[in-house]
Amino acid sequence: MKKRVIVACGGAVATSTVAANKVLELCKKNALDIEIVQCRVSEINMNITGASLIVATSKVSKDYGVPFVSGMPFISGVGVDAIESAILAALRD
Amino acid sequence: MIWDRLDKDLVFTGIDGTESNDILKYLGGALVKSGYCKESFVDALAKRESQNPTGIDMSGFGIAIPHTDISHVIKDGIAIGTLNNPVRFVAMGTDDEFVDVKVVFALAITDPIAHLAQIQTLISILQDPNVLESIWLSNSPEAIIGTIKHKESLL
Repeated sequence: MKKRVIVACGGAVATSTVAANKVLELCKKNALDIEIVQCRVSEINMNITGASLIVATSKVSKDYGVPFVSGMPFISGVGVDAIESAILAALRD
Repeated sequence: MIWDRLDKDLVFTGIDGTESNDILKYLGGALVKSGYCKESFVDALAKRESQNPTGIDMSGFGIAIPHTDISHVIKDGIAIGTLNNPVRFVAMGTDDEFVDVKVVFALAITDPIAHLAQIQTLISILQDPNVLESIWLSNSPEAIIGTIKHKESLL
């Protein structure tokens, strides 16, 4: 079954679009069939049902009970390997 | 390509400012004045920065990429400003960490999906701290655009 990944940022303009694409490429490369929902942090709540992972480039202060990975390394270029492993681990369960 | 779309009238060297808002007003104002954004852009930029900050530590070099909702944008563009003295921005993804920023890239984006490739290319260019240092040390818009062109040719 397709796993649902929420990619969130403040305005869904620049950074989450980049992060969402990186997550998609990573999953494609690893033969993981996923569905991405791109939204604002304030909209995570209404998209959380059935989600396996949250990746965000904004601060997420609430615990939604699903794994959370900061998408900032996709923007800064530092620590990409670590979050890619964390994303794959969360989606391979 | 990014470099050939850069407008040298939107590239500024040696901006003075003491807080992030000064820089947002300067670059946001330039985007409005040149017809890239609506009057509402500057306030929207400041509001979004306060809610969702855009300071980024790029391997030791501080930048900010302020941007805001597409409803305030008329056409796509990037305003670039190098700062005489570092100005403190809140770090993206936090509300309590700071980045001392030396170069700011204010983004006017109309359609993030359609322009994904360009946004990604820009981010890739900015991930090189040597490029950022070179931009910061540049004395002219032409030199800054030249640095970006060169880096882009190597990607």
